[in-house]
Amino acid sequence: MAAELLRFDNVVAGYGALTILNQLSFTARAGEITLLIGPNGAGKSTVLKTLFGLLAPRSGQIHFKGNAVGGRAPAQMLRAGVAFVPQGRNLFPALSVRHNLELGAITLPPRDRASRFAEALARFPSLHSRIDSQASTLSGGEQKQLEIARALQLRPDVLLIDEPSIGLSPIVNQQVFALLRTLADAGTTVLMVEQNVRAALGVSDRVLLLEGGRLMLDSPAATLLADPDLNRVFLGKAVS
Amino acid sequence: MIDFLQLIVSGTATGACYALAALGFTLLWQASGTINFALGEMVMLPAFIMLFFIGPAGLPLPLAFAATLLVSLLVLGLGFKRLVVDPMLKHGVIPLVIATLGLSIAMKQGVRIAFSAQVFTFPAIFSQELLSIGGARLSVSDLGTVIVAGGLVVALQTFLNRTLTGRAMQAVAQNRDAATVLGINVQRMVLYAFLINAALAATTALLVTPVYLAKFDMGDTLGLKAFYAAIIGGFNQSRGALLGGVLVGVLENLVGAYLSPGYKDGVALVLFLAVILFKPEGLLGKPEERKV
Repeated sequence: MAAELLRFDNVVAGYGALTILNQLSFTARAGEITLLIGPNGAGKSTVLKTLFGLLAPRSGQIHFKGNAVGGRAPAQMLRAGVAFVPQGRNLFPALSVRHNLELGAITLPPRDRASRFAEALARFPSLHSRIDSQASTLSGGEQKQLEIARALQLRPDVLLIDEPSIGLSPIVNQQVFALLRTLADAGTTVLMVEQNVRAALGVSDRVLLLEGGRLMLDSPAATLLADPDLNRVFLGKAVS
Repeated sequence: MIDFLQLIVSGTATGACYALAALGFTLLWQASGTINFALGEMVMLPAFIMLFFIGPAGLPLPLAFAATLLVSLLVLGLGFKRLVVDPMLKHGVIPLVIATLGLSIAMKQGVRIAFSAQVFTFPAIFSQELLSIGGARLSVSDLGTVIVAGGLVVALQTFLNRTLTGRAMQAVAQNRDAATVLGINVQRMVLYAFLINAALAATTALLVTPVYLAKFDMGDTLGLKAFYAAIIGGFNQSRGALLGGVLVGVLENLVGAYLSPGYKDGVALVLFLAVILFKPEGLLGKPEERKV
């Protein structure tokens, strides 16, 4: 079994008076794709934001590579080896593909930037031909590829990715999922939030079902995929 | 034709000064959503600070300008951001607009109390001679103003488009959340915008005060016309500010010469109304959606 890389211990987090994560505890293992599922408001995206430092936990502990990292700023998490591709459009629309990529490497030492840039383009050849195009002119799939390429320049130990399938055609969606599988097989840990559960389960190793900010189920993805009651699971009613 | 050329050059010189001030509007709007109605006073104050350094402190003009630039960066850049914008922006744009209006009144009245309401002459930075070029008699001062203001605009555009820091500033303006996720220091980039705005205001003071003369309310007209110029060109585009400024300056001159000087000050307002009615995003601006 792969080593534990990430651990949430009784984490409480939320926005203003609203508590979203309610004493949440789980672990994620190195080189695996861990899929977070659950109904709207279950706290899936909040897990990613809290881990990345966009939201400070009110209590509880977050450990990454054995170090307590709860409450650290996003720039610190990037340097620690965690990259985040949030939900929606995250590009700088009036800047070129080249400049979007370049800004993704801004936290790297200057001597490493050129090689990481070349590495990212080699992984996404379709971006190469659009390198000087404005990011806003890319298709939805190309934009998502650019967002992922930008994050991968940091060679993160953990890639957090929120709803990667939104706005993508089924074919492009499959390509993105296949890419995440390739990354995980090469050693990158992926923590993914995805509403398209059936497709995402196919590339995931483990699945965590959240409801009301609590962990309701922690299961191998293959086990859940074989469950005839998958639809009920998706609605968050499978575990009683 | 020769008169026309002279009017264009002197109008471009005036317009370049409007453009410098208008650039301050667009920069702060893009970087932090700040509409700064104290911009005219942010040009007036450095003029008086320079007069202080030249008069009581006895510094030559270049040194006085350098000292004023430093004070402007600290007070109108860092101080304005930390003491006015940061605390007010949390409450929304309208409270901030009201705060900058209040700041404008406070700065004007503060200078009136400190220096009186009289008009002060200001040393010219360019010779007052006229050059004869192809039959047209062009003022060295106008040409110098166009070159300095144009050079600053080019330098600013080069910085924003050709350097990593400049592109990071654009990134923050275009998508602040995405910039945060990439580890760009958003607050630092916003501060740079405020510092650049302060430097532009101090330089505008150096260029316009020899012509406008230093008076506590000298910022009223300039601030208003820079605001119109920014709207005309496009509030979310730096090159829009440049176009708007030059357009207002040149048309004011032409209207003043060929129609009546009495209509001159109405040019910016008419252009502003026409743009608001027919192309509200401005001549070079892009439609912008905001969540409400």
